[in-house]
Parts: sequence; C-alpha cells; structure tokens
Amino acid sequence: MAEVHVIGQILGATGFSESSLFCKWGIHTASVGLLLPCTFHHVLRRHLGPLLVLGPGAAWKLLSGVREGQTQVDTPQVGDMAYWSHPIDLHFATKGLQGWPRLHLQVWSQDSFGRCQLAGYGFCHVPSSPGTHQLDCPTWRPLGSWREQLARAFVGGGPQLLHGDAIYSGADRYRLHTAAGGTVHLELGLLLRHFDRYGVEC
Amino acid sequence: MNPQEEKVKIITEEFIENDEDADVGRQKTSRVQRRKRKKQLPTAGPDEMVSEKSHLGDQQEPGHEDPNADARPLSMPTRRGPRSLPPIPSASRTGFAEFSMRERMREKLQAARSKAESALLQEIPTPRPRRLRSPSEKELETEFGTEPGGKIQTTQQEDDSQSYSRVKFRDSVRKIKSKTPVPPGFPSAEEAYNFFTFNFDPEPEESEEKPKAKNRDGANQEEGEGEEEEAPVPEGIDKTDEEVLLDDKDAVDFLLGLDRGAEDIVAVRPADYESVHIRLQKEKELLFIPSRRTVPTYKKLPENVQPRFLEDEGLYIGARLEVPRTNQNIMENRLLMQEPGRRWFGDDGRILALPNPIKPFPSRPLVLTQEQDIKAELETLYKKLQALRNAVQVSLNPAKTPKSLDTTRRAINEYKSEIRQTRKLRDIEQEKDRTLLKTIIKVWKEMKSLREFQRFTNTPLKLVLRKEKVDQKADEEAYEAEIQAEISELLEEHREEYEQRMDEYRSAHQQWKAWKKAQRTKKKKKKQGVEEHPDDEMEEPYPEEDPVKPVPPEPTNQAVIEQEVRERAAQSRRRPGEPMLVPELSLAGSVTPNDQCPRVEVLRREDVKRRSVYLKVLFNDKEVSRTNSRPLGADFRVHFGQIFNLQIVNWPESLTLQVYETVGHSGTTLLAEVFLPIPETTVVTGRAPLEEVEFSSNQHVTLDHEGVGSGVPFSFEADGSNQLTLMTSGKVSNSVSWAIGENGIPLIPPLSQQNIGFRSALKRADAISSIGTSGLTDMKKLAKWAAESKLDPNDPNNAPLMQLILVATSGESYVPDFFRLEQLQQEFNFVSDEELNRSKRFRLLRLRSQEVPEFRNYKQIPVYDREIMEKVFQDYEKRLRDRNVIETKDHIDTHRAIVAKYLQQVRESVINRFLIAKHHFLLADLIVEEEVPNISILGLRLFKLAEQKRPLRPRRKGRKKVTVQNLSDGDIKLLVNIIRAYDIPVRKPITSKFQQPPRSSRTFSEKQAASPTTHSPTHSADYPLSQVLVRPFVEVSFQRTICHTTTADGPNPSWNEELELPFRAPNGDYSTTSLQSVKDDVFINIFDEVLYDVLEDDRERASGIHTRIERHWLGCVKIPFSTIYFQAKIDGTFKIDTPPVLLGYSKERSVVAERGFDPVRSLSEGSYITLFITMEPQLVPGESVREKTSDMLKKFDSQEDEKLLQATEKFQAECALKFPNRQCLTTVIDISGKTVFITRYLKPLNPPQELLNAYPNNPQATAELVARYVSLIPFLPDTVSFAGICDLWSTSDQFLDLLAGDEEEHAVLLCNYFLSLGKKAWLMMGNAIPEGPTAYVLTREQSHYLIWNPCSGHFYGQFDTFCPLKSVGCLIGPDNIWFNIQRHDSPLRINFDITKPKLWKSFFSRSLPYPGLSSVQPEELIYQRTDKAAAAELQDRIEKILKEKIMDWRPRHLTRWNRYCTSTLRHFLPLLERSQGEDVEDDHRAELLKQLGDYRFSGFPLHMPYSELKPLIEAVYSTGVHNIDVPNVEFALAVYIHPYPKNVLSVWIYVASLIRNR
Repeated sequence: MAEVHVIGQILGATGFSESSLFCKWGIHTASVGLLLPCTFHHVLRRHLGPLLVLGPGAAWKLLSGVREGQTQVDTPQVGDMAYWSHPIDLHFATKGLQGWPRLHLQVWSQDSFGRCQLAGYGFCHVPSSPGTHQLDCPTWRPLGSWREQLARAFVGGGPQLLHGDAIYSGADRYRLHTAAGGTVHLELGLLLRHFDRYGVEC
Repeated sequence: MNPQEEKVKIITEEFIENDEDADVGRQKTSRVQRRKRKKQLPTAGPDEMVSEKSHLGDQQEPGHEDPNADARPLSMPTRRGPRSLPPIPSASRTGFAEFSMRERMREKLQAARSKAESALLQEIPTPRPRRLRSPSEKELETEFGTEPGGKIQTTQQEDDSQSYSRVKFRDSVRKIKSKTPVPPGFPSAEEAYNFFTFNFDPEPEESEEKPKAKNRDGANQEEGEGEEEEAPVPEGIDKTDEEVLLDDKDAVDFLLGLDRGAEDIVAVRPADYESVHIRLQKEKELLFIPSRRTVPTYKKLPENVQPRFLEDEGLYIGARLEVPRTNQNIMENRLLMQEPGRRWFGDDGRILALPNPIKPFPSRPLVLTQEQDIKAELETLYKKLQALRNAVQVSLNPAKTPKSLDTTRRAINEYKSEIRQTRKLRDIEQEKDRTLLKTIIKVWKEMKSLREFQRFTNTPLKLVLRKEKVDQKADEEAYEAEIQAEISELLEEHREEYEQRMDEYRSAHQQWKAWKKAQRTKKKKKKQGVEEHPDDEMEEPYPEEDPVKPVPPEPTNQAVIEQEVRERAAQSRRRPGEPMLVPELSLAGSVTPNDQCPRVEVLRREDVKRRSVYLKVLFNDKEVSRTNSRPLGADFRVHFGQIFNLQIVNWPESLTLQVYETVGHSGTTLLAEVFLPIPETTVVTGRAPLEEVEFSSNQHVTLDHEGVGSGVPFSFEADGSNQLTLMTSGKVSNSVSWAIGENGIPLIPPLSQQNIGFRSALKRADAISSIGTSGLTDMKKLAKWAAESKLDPNDPNNAPLMQLILVATSGESYVPDFFRLEQLQQEFNFVSDEELNRSKRFRLLRLRSQEVPEFRNYKQIPVYDREIMEKVFQDYEKRLRDRNVIETKDHIDTHRAIVAKYLQQVRESVINRFLIAKHHFLLADLIVEEEVPNISILGLRLFKLAEQKRPLRPRRKGRKKVTVQNLSDGDIKLLVNIIRAYDIPVRKPITSKFQQPPRSSRTFSEKQAASPTTHSPTHSADYPLSQVLVRPFVEVSFQRTICHTTTADGPNPSWNEELELPFRAPNGDYSTTSLQSVKDDVFINIFDEVLYDVLEDDRERASGIHTRIERHWLGCVKIPFSTIYFQAKIDGTFKIDTPPVLLGYSKERSVVAERGFDPVRSLSEGSYITLFITMEPQLVPGESVREKTSDMLKKFDSQEDEKLLQATEKFQAECALKFPNRQCLTTVIDISGKTVFITRYLKPLNPPQELLNAYPNNPQATAELVARYVSLIPFLPDTVSFAGICDLWSTSDQFLDLLAGDEEEHAVLLCNYFLSLGKKAWLMMGNAIPEGPTAYVLTREQSHYLIWNPCSGHFYGQFDTFCPLKSVGCLIGPDNIWFNIQRHDSPLRINFDITKPKLWKSFFSRSLPYPGLSSVQPEELIYQRTDKAAAAELQDRIEKILKEKIMDWRPRHLTRWNRYCTSTLRHFLPLLERSQGEDVEDDHRAELLKQLGDYRFSGFPLHMPYSELKPLIEAVYSTGVHNIDVPNVEFALAVYIHPYPKNVLSVWIYVASLIRNR
C-alpha cells in the first residue's frame, strides 16, 4: 500500500563523443528474468523495431504516468552537455520493496543524415530515500570486433544488445567488450508514502 | 610411565634388533670401527642428556634443533656438559663413575689400537682433513646432522642440569650393577662392548629406572650407528678432551673414586614396603575412583532446571550408541568430578552424544569379498536351520506344548517345510563356498606357476591359506550328527510321503477290490445271462477303464537315502577332519628386482615407468582442476593423495574425473571418464568414505613387449589357446564431500528446491533396496514405503524425503508445476494483493490513468481511502456489468437497443484499435512555429499601410490557432453571430382579433374568415401599415446555456448580434479526441415574441400596462458542435427547420413574391437564417488524426489489387497537387477495417416495394418518397461514433441493419436506390454547410441536375442558391470516379457533364481501363415489414414519457392535459405523414378552429426519424412549449409513429398549448 512518486527529469548527458544525442529511458520494476515484448510504444518502435522490456514486477503497480519514453534530440551549441530536461513523473503503488524501480537509459546519437546509432547503455536504481537526488549514470556500449568498429567509424551502426536485460543483469556481461560512453545526468525527486506503516523508515 | 617414553623404548629396541639382524655379517669387518666407537662412549654424557630430553619433551621436533645449534656455540659435546654445569657433576658420584669408565675405555682403546694398527692406517687418510674443520661445523655433522632421533636439545639450562644429574645418577647405579660380577679390575673389551650394546633384560626392582637406562642404551647405540662413518673423527679430539675434562673438573672425584671399592658404594637396605592401608591412603589422595551408581539428574543440570526431553518436544535425536549403563554412570561421575561445568551434559541430563555412527549395512574388507559374503550367509542359514530344528523338536514334545494339537501340527508342518527349504539353500551356499574356494586356489596356483615360469614376480600379492586345525574326532562327530539329522529328516519326510501314498494305495486298492468283486459277480451274471440276453454283451460297453491293480509303494530305503545324503555332503561339504582353509590375501610377497628379470620384463617395467597418469576434475563439464602427473607404479597403482577444494557457484550437476595417461614425453590420451555422484548434503568433509569407481577404456593398445596391452587378444596358455581380450580398466578411489565452513556450518547448497530433495531421496539406499529404483518415480509407492518403514520425520536426513512424501500423500501426488522466481517475495510483502486491489484510491488513480471514460480527467483524487465514496465506481461497474446485457429501458425499441449495443461495441473495438494514433503527435501538435517573414510578406505588409483604416467591406482576419493541451473550463467560448433571417412566418390576423373581447358571434365570424387563402390579400393590405407581422428573436442554446438576441420586427429581421456561449468539455478533458467526440448540438431557435394585454379592465388602461409576454416557437437550426469544431467556422445562410404546420402563423409568400425580392429564392420554400458561428479561441481541429489514421489505414490489409491501390495513390496525389482543398476519395475502409475501392459500394439496389407502389405513375414522387425513406434512417456521424478516427463505410445492408450511419451511408443507399429506379445517379463528394465534407447524391433528370441531401431527403436544383452543398470535389459512379478539375467548385458554377475530360478527370481511362470490380453490396436488399403493433406500443410509450417530461419541466405549475385536443391532434398526424407535411396546414387549421374555438392555440408538429428517445425529448424541450406559465394553460401532446419497412420509423410529435379564451 505504500506509494512512491518519482518526479524528476533527465537533465542531459555529458562526455559523449557524438554530438546530437537523445535518450530512451524506461523505469522498470520487474525482477530480473521475465522478458515481455513491448507492444505499444511506437515511439521507440519507430527507431528500434519491437523492443524488449521487462514485465512489471508483481509487487509494483503503476498508478499513473508513463513508464518509458524518449527524449528529443539535442545538439549542444554551447558547451559539451546535451540538455534534454525530459520530465519523468511516475506514481507507483507497491506492496513490497522487491523490484525497486530501476532506470534504464539508452543514449543514442543522430547523425546528419538522420541515422541513429547507439552511444551508450546505462542503468541506475531510483534512489530509495525521499528528497531530490542528483544522479549521474555512466554509460557503456558494446565495442564489437575491429571490423565492426571500423564500420561504425565510417558508416555508423555498430553492435547493440540483443536483449536489454544485459544492461542490468551481470550474468552474461563477461562476454562483452565494451567502451565507455558519457554520463547521463538525472535529477529525481522522490516522495514516499506509508512506508513507515510497514516498518520501513525513510 | 609416560607413553612417549615407551614409544621411544620400542623404537630403540627395534633399532637394535635391526642392527643385530642386519649387521651380523658386517660386525666382524667393521670391528675396528666399533672399537673406536666404544672409545667415544665416555663423551656420551651430553648425548644421554639429549636422549633423556627426548623422553621428557617432544620427541622429534626439528624446529628445536637449529636454534639450539645456533644459540649455543658448542665447541665440543664433552666440554659442554661440564662447562655449562660446573659445580653439580663434581658433587655427585657420576663424575667418578664416568671417569672410571673412561679410564677403562682408554685402556681398551689402546689395546684395540695396537691390535688393529693396520686397519687404522688405512682409514686415517680420509678422515684427517676433517679435523681441520671448525668444531661447531663438525659437531653439526657428527652429532646433529646425522641422527635425527637423538639430537634434540633443550634451550633451558635448568632442564639440562637436572636431567643431566639424574642421568648421571642412574648411570652410576647401572654401572654398579654391571660391575658386580667382576668386582675388581676392569672389564674386558668384550664386556665393555656388551655393556654398552647389550640390551639389558628388565630388572624388576628398578622398574622405574629400567626403561630409561635402556633408552639411554638405545640412544648410545643410535649414536654409535650414526657415527659409523665418522668413527675416526672424534678419535684424537675425544681423547684430549677427556683429559682436559679430567684435569680441571673431575679431578677430585677421580682421585677419590679410584681407590674406593664397590662396598663403599653399595648399601644394603631393607626392602621398601608400604602397607596396603598406607598405599590405599596415598592412592586415595591421588586416585579418583568414580562411583558406578547412577548420578541423580539434578546434579547434571544447572540449578532449578527441569530436564528437557527433546524427543518428546518433537526434535530429532538420533539413536544413541549402546553403552552399558555402568560405563555411563562412571563416565558421568567422573565428568562431574573433573569438570563441574556441566558442559558435557545435554538438556536432558544425559551425556551429549552423537548419534550411533554404526552403519546398518555391513562394510567389508576389500579382499575376497564374495567369499566372505557367502560365509555370512551360510552362517545365518545354519543358525536358522538350527533354530527351526529346535522348534520342531520342542513342538513335537507334547508335554511342552500347551497349544492345541492341531495348531501344533500345522506349525510343525510349516517348520518342516521351512527346514527343507533352508536345507536346500544351505546346501547351495555350501557348494558355492566350496567351489569359490577351489577357484581361488586354482587361480593362485596358476599364478604361482606363471611366476615360476616367468621366473619373476611383478606383484606383491600373496595368498596364504591358513589351515585351521579341527579336532578330528569332534568334527567327525559333528559331521556324522549333521548327516544323521539330515537323514532322519529325509527319512521322516519320506515316511510321510510313504504314508500318504500308502493311504492312497489303500483306498485305491479297496476300490480295485470292489471293482474286482463286482466284475466277478458280473461275470457270473453274464454267464447266466448270456443265454437270456445274447446281445447283452453288446450292450455292455468296455469298462471305461480297467482299473489297474494298485502297486503298493515301496517303503523308503534308509540305506539309499543315507547314500544320497552322504554323497551330497561329500560334494558340497568339507570332509570331516579336513582342515578348514581360510584364504588370506596379502601384499607381503616380494617383487623380483629388475636385475633378476628377463629382458622383456625389464622392458615392460621401463615402459610402465614411462607412463604416468593424471586426473582432471570436471565440474558441470568444466575443468576445474587436475592432479599432478604421477608415474604408474609397478603394481599399476597411482597414488595422488590430493584434495581439491572447489568453491561452486552453480548448482552441482555433474562431477567427472577424466583419467589421462601420458607416455613418456609424447601426448596424453584420455583413458576414461569417471562420473562421480554429487555427494548428499549430509556428507561433509571427514565423514566421506573412500569410494571406488571403476572405469574402463575401449582404446586398443598393442605393446612391443611382454605387456598385455588393451583390446588385443592374448592367451595365458603357452599354446595360445583360451584367448582373452582385456581392456584397460581400473578403479579410481575417491571421496567427495561438502566442505565445512569456518564456523562449522557445512557449506552445502540449500535444500529448498523440490527436485533436489527428490534427488537426494533417490540416493537413499534403503529406499531403493526396498522398493526398487523404479518405485521412486512412483510417488504412491514411495509414500507407502515411507509409511511402512516408519521414518523418523524429525531426522534431518529424512527431511527432503518427508517433504516429498508429504506432498505425495496430501494431494494425490501433486507437484506444483510452476516455478516461483522470487520465493521470498511473499514474506517481504507489505500487504497482500487483495488489499492492494481493494484500495479505492489506487483504483481511481489507475482508472484515471487508463483514461476510462468515467474517470478521464478526474481532477483531484483524495489522499485517503475513506474520503472516496463507493458510488464513484458505481457507474463504471454498472457499465462493465451491462456490457452484454441489452437494456431496453432507454431505448424502448428492442431492435434499436441491440443496434446501439452493437455500435457501442464496434466503437470500443475501433477505439482500441486506434489507440495508438491518439498518442501520435505531429510536429505541429507540439511546436507552434511562427512563419518567418520573408520579403514577399514584408512587401504585403508595406502595402497594407496604404489600406483603408475602415474598409467598407471588412474582411475577417485569420486568428491564431490554439492547441488544445493547456485549456481549461471557461477558456473556450462559442461565438454565434446571428445576422439576419428571411421569410419568417408571420402571425395570422387572428391573433389581433383575439385581443378583441371574445364573443360567440365573433368566434363564429372568425371561423368563416379562417381560410387564409381568402383572407390573406386583405390582411396583406393593412398589415405593413397597421400591425406588427411578427416580432422574432433568436435563442441559442448550447449545453443547456441559453442566450437570446433582442427582438426584431418583421418577417425579415436583421439582428446582427453576437452571442457568446461558454463551452465545457466533458469531464474537463480538452484533448483533441475528447473534443471530437462532443455530441452536443447548438440549437438556434427562432421565436416570436407575442405580447398579450392581460388587463382585465379597460378602465385601467390609462394608468398601467399589464402585458404578458409569450413566445411562440417558429423553427430551429441545429448544428452539431463537432461540425463547428472541424470547420472552425460556420458561415452561411441556413434553412430554418420549421414545422409543417405552425398554428397561428403563415408564410407571407405572396408578399415576398410580389415585392420581387429575389426571384431565385422563391424556388425553395421556407425561412432562412444567416449565421456565423465560430469558437474563441480557434482550436486546431483534429485533422492530424485523419492524416495519421490514413497512414495507419494504409497498413490495413486489403483485398484490392496492388496495382489498383498504387493507381489510387497516384490519382489522389495528382488531384491533391492541383486542388488540395477538393475532396477526392478513391478508397475507403469497410467496417471490418479493410481498404475497399469506393466504386464497389455503388450498385443498383431495390428500394422497398411498398414505396414503389405508392406512386406507380409518378417517378418524381417515388424518388422523393425514397429519399424520404433514406432520410428517416437516423443520422449518426462517424466522427462522433468513432471519435474522429476515420470513416468506416458500411454496406447498405449493414446500414439498414444498424439503422444508423452518416452522410456516406445515406448517400450510398440513396444513390443505389436511384440507380435501381433507372436514374442516372452519382455520389457527389464535397463540402456542405453545415456538415462540412459530406456526400450528396446527384441525379440527372431530363434536362437538369438535382442535388439530393440524403440526410434530410430534400433535393435542390443545380442553381438553387440555398443548396447547402457549397463545393463539389468528385463524382463517383458505379464504374468510375471523376475528379472536378474545373476552376470553380460551387455547384452553381460548374458543369456536370462528366464526359468532358477537361472538366472531369476520370480515374479509369483508356490507359487504365475499368477492370470490372465486383460490388461489395448484396445482390438484393430484403425488407421485413415492421410490426405495426410494436410501433403502436412504442408510440404510446413515447407519448407517456414525453408527457411526464413536460410535467417534470414545469415543476412550479400544474400541467393539465386537454384530452380532446390531443385526440384531434392524433388524428391529424397520420395525415401529415401521408402528405409529408405539405399542403395540409390550411385544412388542419380550419379543423382545429372548428373543434377548439374557445382556445387560443399555439402548437406544431415535430417530425424526426426515430433512433432513440433522447433526441425526441431534446427536440420537445428546445421548442419551449412548456415554458408557458399562464395559469389556466392546457397542453396537448400526440405522438404518431409511422412504420416503414426495415423498422425505419417516422416519428411525429404534436405539441400544443391551449389557453382558453374568456
């Protein structure tokens, strides 16, 4: 019966070598494992085709708000940071602490031809204490073979994760060879309600 | 005595023995060395001390050695003792004794030296250089380096000194003893040697001293041994040292002792004796004899604690080891005495004990297992036999058996049979035993012969047959007794059998006798009767069987039986007196050394040496570790002795050992894989038994030497017969166990998973043995077994099994087939799911978020559940509940109720399908981009400066459009600009006459003047001058907000007024979709304001004005909001929907006509109003949705040809390029969502026969009737039903079934009817007012074109200015589409000649001929006659409801119903229907006046197609009839429903108010 409001924004990103960036984000409350095809988010689908996201955790219920989305493309004119200031406003009801919301980020870059390519995957937990939090989420992307790197350098594209779950599950990561991307900056405010009723102090 | 001491002693003893045995031969040769050794003995002081030390402390600790050597710079062992302990030795006699010894040794040495001069000379050269070494270094070598046993030094000087002195003392004692036989003089060399080397026998009086002395001897001996090689080294040095020592330290002792005799040293004393009492006393002080009595429980437990009985509490306690009670008591007593801490006692007051470690199954030694097995079995069988025999004996004795004879006999029989069985078994076992023994011996003999033949042995195997002597006589007796017993048993058996047979025989014999007798008598009879009955013989058949004379059974021959038994015994049993042979296999045999083997064998052995083996450990098929590579031993054993610790993170699935063989330096080969079982969780380190797993390899190896190889046939025999093929095989001895963590917790995987439990249950040996492996898969069997075996449910070992059984027994072997990902989720949950779902707040939030219509845009949701009323959900739940229940209450008509439901469902499904489009925003939705002014605009702006400030004809300026996102209530206003009206009906002159005092004569004259045709010219003459014709005003009502204009005068008023109405979106949702689905209409009603003078008395007229204002409804214009929304503005002149009969009013047609106002207008009748309606601010209409959906729609599948679809796209693109504003339609979506080419909808379809029959001779009238029929089908705009998503075109039959549709459906149906009537008809797509983009029907009459509005049934000529169709986009025929490419699109200005390609662009042309598309319409429409009774019933119900409504709307007034008037009206309504509301007005009026002359009458009939009740009520309400509040007003209301085929209903409602004239 406890409630969690996540209100905040994806401020932007720094440190990416690409210039025109946008970010796909999603907040998942699922436990690791269950993969469900995302059927409705056509915004993502337009670029990605059917995207695999996690099914909602059993303990969490989204009361209102949008779980996932995509920011605009920002090309910084001054400075290094791409600003999105993308709002996140979610209202969860939960019956347990399991599957605390996680934030998945995919930073993409758009080149001058309008092609999008992956710039980094990132993942962080939504903070569990109430208040405003400044989060920095570092990102990474799969590097691929030298051939792929070469291809990426000239014609774009490059390796992407087949399943998004590798972003947060560490099980199969050892097989990946990754390159560091930049950092995504977030500002999340949390409102918790009724947690004290169930013995969770916050 | 110290056990360590003993050990040391034993070691030394062994050593000595060894020495003696081994060096017998060498003794003589190394005699010289020995001498030298003897000479060194006096230096043994410190060494003795060393050995002594070893008794006291740890025996062999090399760690002590080095520090001592370093810490004490011992230059010489001899010097050390005295130097470190100067005073003590001198005080004791030891020094003396030592001295004397040394003296003697010196003498001896001298003698030996002279004797073995030559031998010495040989040896000297080698040791000599060693002398030059530093003493310490040498010492390391001599004293410490060579001998580990006796070299231990202590660091503590005190210890040294004490032990030293003690040793010396003992030494002296011993010396005295040894001296006694030769009191004076020195012992001979032999004696001296013996003294040091001989192992003295124990001396009883000095039991304490003896072992130490011996020990010292041993130590000396060892030292001697150690110094064997170095013997020459200490030679000189020792001597000098000795002298030095003598000189400076022990000089006094030496001198004193030299002269003294042995008597001085020895003192005779009485035997030491302590009395038993004293000893006991002393012992009592020292010893503790624990009591054997039971210790009371309270002593064993802490105070005030009751003993707990854990077993009763349900905890598992394993079976304790059986220990005699007394032993336990002793132990308890001792524990209590020794350690009062009670930590040895458990809560139950008993000693803590582990469960019994003894396994229930035997574990046997490795060797000759099978035989042992048989032996054990034999023994049990023997025992059983014995017991059974006894039992038989006992029960045979009747005195001892109190049981009844019967049961005894039965028991005896059973016993006997069992005895027989057991005997048989025993015999078999015995035979097996013997044959096994025989084969063992045979194999051993073979092996022996092979060894002899090969002249070498490879293996240390050795079979020893141990003969156990048996007492010949006793054995024979036992044997005989056994045989006798067996014989007697057999005899008995046989006797029984015999008796049985005898019985049988007797009875048989009797029978036979009887038969014989009978036969005889028969024969006699026959003899007599042959003569009488000669054919009698024939009659008597052969006797069935000539009974054979039974042979009496032979009595059993005892001798034969004995013979049998003995034979068998001889075969299977050990002969009496034959010694029992017990084979013992040992590894004690010696292997022939290499140099004695033949070459081939040496080769083989070398090859074996080259081979090495290692193991790989694979866990879950991954190599985790491997052993070192070890060479193969001569006995083909490889000892690894390695322990691999494996920390696992994955669930253990398999554990495999791979055996690899390496030959020399070449590659390795995988010999075999050995699969080890994962240990049970109870098997932890230390408890795991060594297990052997056999493996075998199928690889073929041929060797070039004597070796057997693998997979190659060979023979043991010399002649090559009896070939054998052996494979490489072996055993891996291993043990697998779970480790134990630091805190003693076994590091085992958790047992939680069900399957693990099952697996470990599988491994339970006893379960398998009892029900077999297959039984384990059978849950029921397993459960049964568990129930029978009475497993301790508390035993942790049984836990998984019990769980399994619990599952198995409780719910018919129910195994959950789900897999719970988060097992602990349940525990951590705050609340249950139900509670979460029950929360009203959450539900409300979710419903709002899901945009459920009831909760969409619900503004603020209360924070607490208790603040949310339950009724919030009532509507929603009701809707959900009623989704499939057809509710007739609102609809009255069942068919329409069904249709409404169906529509609702279609709507929902369509909405779901297009939900995506709702979130699809275009750039324009999000971003408002002001156009950047370019140079042309700039120029225009400049030009504008020169414009007139106040132009005579102002133009409307475009306003800024507002997106709908951020709007709220009150932001949007509807602006209605009412400009002017034409041809408003005018009052009849009656009204003026009513103002005259009512008189009966007057009324009569009025009647005569009622006919307007006669009177109107006269009226018209004086009206304009004298009286007001009409005072109309306009009332606009929207969403129950009402605004009205000022009152104007005359039939052609000009108001030019702007009315402002607020707009409220449903639920405050201002999203595009919500606005698109607003169903509200804007009603524009035109009223006539009538003033009545209510003054009762004419006399007061001068002083006051009493007037009542009445308003009479004249007509209305209804504009749906959605039209306004989509059109953004509505500007034009509309025909006022006036009732066909307007009592009291008439159209001043003639006046207008006479004045020649507008000759064109006279073509159409009716009143008109010019309006301008728009919204403030201007909203962006949801056009984007259409665009989006058209995108979406392309994705729908289509059955059309791909080429056709491409052509349509091309055609549309071309048209859009030229005239973007003109509607061009080629494909549409049918109701199932498929794209269909539009011409497929057009096809001649038969109108109802009823309509055709109405005017058989008048085609124009028929056409009008058909158009009327079509217009009677209710209009339901797609935009409302499908929320602006897309047009769905239903076919005509679907349309008639649904009885609802928008312009397209109406137009298609009408067009089809016209085609069927033989007219030339087209579907005309264009823009109309107020509908916007719409579909009309164009027909070509003889000379002109007619434009039909399918929704109203009206038709217009091409040049009718009041035609609502304002532009024409395209024409659609059954076989082609023509796009208007003329400059103008107004029907007034265009040419409808479609054959001209310059004016009309056709879709199908020469380049793309019409492919002959089949129609989607049905072949024929089938019409059912509508049930008239149902229509009548509906009519009554509607009337009743409307009456109630009117009464409801007049809450403050009494509503009286004039029945008479109502019935009159009811009669009149069918007439109206028949004449379609035309040309009846005058007759009707006349009739009304005739009947209701006393009343001032105002009323009108309303005509509507029937869809549902609500529009009817709205229509009645909007007329405002009920608003009359004259006290004595009466009302009349009549409803008439005319049924048309297919349940199309035409509804007429006549409402009237009557005011009685006084």
